[in-house]
Amino acid sequence: MTLPADRLLLSRLAFGATPDSLADLDRLGTEGWIAEQLSAGPEDDAATADRLAQTRLHIKYAAGDGFAAVDEMRPLGCLGKDVTLLWPLTDGKRPMGGPERSRPRQEMAAATVLRAIHSRWQLREVLVDFWHNHFNVNAAGDQAIGAALPAYDRTIRSHALGNFREFLEAVATSPAMLIFLNNRSSRAGNANENYGRELFELHSLGRDAYLNALYNRWRDVPGALKGHPAGYIDQDVYEAARAFTGWTIEDGAGLGGGQSLPVTGRFVYVEAWHDNYQKRVLATDFDPFQPPMADGRKALDLVAFHPATARFLCTKLCRRLVADHPSDALVKTAQAVWTETQHRPDQIARVVAAIARSAEARQGFGAKVKRPLELVASFVRGCGIEATVTEGLLNELDGSGQRLFGWAPPTGHPDDMDYWLSSHVLRKRWTLVLGLSDNWWGTGVLSPGQRLDGAMSAGQAIALWHEALTGVPPDPGTASAILSGLAVPADAMLPPGRAADPVHRRILALAAMTPAFNLR
Amino acid sequence: MPLSRRAFLMTAAASLPGLRSVALADPAKPDQGLAGQALIVVFLRGGCDGLSFLAPSNDPDYIADRAPELRVRDDGAKPGRSLRQTCDPAIDFRLHPEAAMLGDLYDGRHLALIHAAGLTDGTRSHFVAQDLMDRGLADSSGFRPQQDGWLTRVLKAHPSSAPAIATTPALPGSLAFHGASLAIPDLRGGLGLPGGPAIASALSALYAGASDPFGRSAAETLRQMDLVDRRLARQADGRIIPYSPEAGVAYEETESGRALRTVAQLLKMEIGLSVAAVDIGGWDHHDNLGGRFSSLVGQFARALTAFWTDVGRYHDRVTLVAMSEFGRRLRTNKSNGADHGHGGLMLVLGGRVNGGTLYGRWPGLASAHLDNGVDLAVTTDYRAVLAEILAVRLRLGPAATADIFPGFTLGRPLGIVAA
Repeated sequence: MTLPADRLLLSRLAFGATPDSLADLDRLGTEGWIAEQLSAGPEDDAATADRLAQTRLHIKYAAGDGFAAVDEMRPLGCLGKDVTLLWPLTDGKRPMGGPERSRPRQEMAAATVLRAIHSRWQLREVLVDFWHNHFNVNAAGDQAIGAALPAYDRTIRSHALGNFREFLEAVATSPAMLIFLNNRSSRAGNANENYGRELFELHSLGRDAYLNALYNRWRDVPGALKGHPAGYIDQDVYEAARAFTGWTIEDGAGLGGGQSLPVTGRFVYVEAWHDNYQKRVLATDFDPFQPPMADGRKALDLVAFHPATARFLCTKLCRRLVADHPSDALVKTAQAVWTETQHRPDQIARVVAAIARSAEARQGFGAKVKRPLELVASFVRGCGIEATVTEGLLNELDGSGQRLFGWAPPTGHPDDMDYWLSSHVLRKRWTLVLGLSDNWWGTGVLSPGQRLDGAMSAGQAIALWHEALTGVPPDPGTASAILSGLAVPADAMLPPGRAADPVHRRILALAAMTPAFNLR
Repeated sequence: MPLSRRAFLMTAAASLPGLRSVALADPAKPDQGLAGQALIVVFLRGGCDGLSFLAPSNDPDYIADRAPELRVRDDGAKPGRSLRQTCDPAIDFRLHPEAAMLGDLYDGRHLALIHAAGLTDGTRSHFVAQDLMDRGLADSSGFRPQQDGWLTRVLKAHPSSAPAIATTPALPGSLAFHGASLAIPDLRGGLGLPGGPAIASALSALYAGASDPFGRSAAETLRQMDLVDRRLARQADGRIIPYSPEAGVAYEETESGRALRTVAQLLKMEIGLSVAAVDIGGWDHHDNLGGRFSSLVGQFARALTAFWTDVGRYHDRVTLVAMSEFGRRLRTNKSNGADHGHGGLMLVLGGRVNGGTLYGRWPGLASAHLDNGVDLAVTTDYRAVLAEILAVRLRLGPAATADIFPGFTLGRPLGIVAA
């Protein structure tokens, strides 16, 4: 089983094929298409921006103490808003309906699905999804993270194809991350180690470079005495946590002496909370009493430019873009570009280009299973439903295990197929495509019967939809399995016009349940 | 030690060839799973603070290192519940006030506790520690990404006709690569397929004979789902009759409540449930330990109590063990939380548990006795507790245990469970 080359590419570097994207790819060629995709800026293309502006998402709650009932279709007004504008949502004393406080996450999830389906800059959207998982925050149940989420998304978008070191600092100073990994309350004395630890393990060097089981003292780590330790141990985590003390947000916290921080939700460095004494991170000495933020920045330099970081990040990028278990050769190719360009502003774009242009990116169909977001977006893209995003669809996506901006562990969603092949997730995958076909969540009515000219047999309809989704005709087993679901013979003629819609919808859903459409 | 001798004899008997297959072939008990036993493994993900769950309330180091609002008190308005124990008579071990009700299960001798338990490996990484424990390993040297889970190996040693159950959206690492598993976060809507019988028949045809991983998993899922779904109680019109627990039992709509309700329901459906993996997340309390721990441990304690009452008829079959990847730092941080630590608390609940006892050796909290000078040491390898349950309750022999916990040999059993 495999897909045509253009389809395979668009199932990896995009959220699936549309007739337009296939035409673009044909016109530009693979190289040209990749170059065009990578040259796009962080802004939405005009059509997608327009669509986001036109989108309405339901909000409903009963009246409460100090606020009226609401039941309306509302624009995605939180998108792009600075944290300060949304910070009032975190004020428990301000009367408002609960759904107002969780609204930013809902809107961000809706925008993510819409962009995955419609954005012309598909590769950027794939990378934005990658980085939101790499630098995961969980806004479900945390209004402060929710309020900071649109600004965080902007940060992710503007650095998604940029320079990793700059990206790391943008994330380290993001209110969403400062809240999620508790650095906002970390102070000299007993620093909070949460961010420091995940900076090493999840954001940069990766767990393979955690050598704590082997070495108890920093000087014992291979290479440490030459200033190039092979990995990190708990002592590095403790010291890095000290380096970031005082990196916090303006949340009104008291500063002593009757003073307190303003209430804006924005990043701020509080010198009085910083641990100023000397430190040692990754076998590098930090002198005492450095200028503001210098300790944290130096820690970011050390982790961003560590070889283990190149290895870890390139492995993850190859895993996302190509295969659950990418070859060592591909990772090494990417790693070489990563290191060579680590001071350039377009470092990540160059690494992505190297991966996208590799032979491996064009081979080995079936090395990954689509995650539910990919399944939904590629389904809508493939069959051309004019779909919008609704609360119902977002809830269903949440239930499928892909909780956009609501994944609790700081790891982000798993990126290997085992997770996405559990019995629960499979059931939800079947539900997602069936529900979209049959418009269970008000996303849009699929009515192909009217568009199709002429009489058509069940067998022809199966071939039509299977090819629309995968680019290849169904094999005989697949066709007969779908026919058995319809309980009709292959040559049974579909009724004319709209009367054929229920059959088309069923065929489409079943074609989307095939391995050919779920693998990539 | 009559108990350990008995445990040894059971283990030896179970390892004799033929005996187990005779037991499995017993036609009077066609669907009894693992020697008729149900093993329920609760993983408290995130690093549950054992020092708040079962606190050494009068220990001077505990008092010195934790502010009054961040520790369990032996005085004041909301003291913890003191437990009778001989583990360390000088220490007044108290259950967190929100978990005080577990004292009834303890006094009733159904609940055993093991303090200072965990991984002997020194990792403070959630993900490394969870992976090691899910795979039944001692340290990273034996870890391979494609490694199956320890519960997967239990089921390999003692196959069950019923699917293993996880109450999470996907299988936890402990059941990794166990094909015959169902992930059931919630059973209220049943396990039927969307689209009814037509879709069901199309899907079984679609995946029949599939050789790709998607098709194979899908085919297996259809088989396993059907086993459970057809045993759900239904009304005449086919709608599922909502599960009603025993009189007086109410589960809360929390992760703990939903998960343990699902397990109770599956137990009572008599599908032969032998292994259930329950994950309860949210224990990573780097900040606001006082408030966050109270609320979570309260939910867990109430769910555990509800479950125990609800499955009253099944007590002799049930062994539930709860654990976490590590405990938390003795000394709290400036966020009023506690960072990643080492030794933690394990709980074992069951009808054949020698409860009302605090097992293991309490290492103390003086600096010299702390792991790395900062964390509660581990004096009981988590595998000692699990292996004892496997040997005594599931009657798995030493060879199977050695396969399930590579490099680990069960020494003298602690005596936590009876045969």
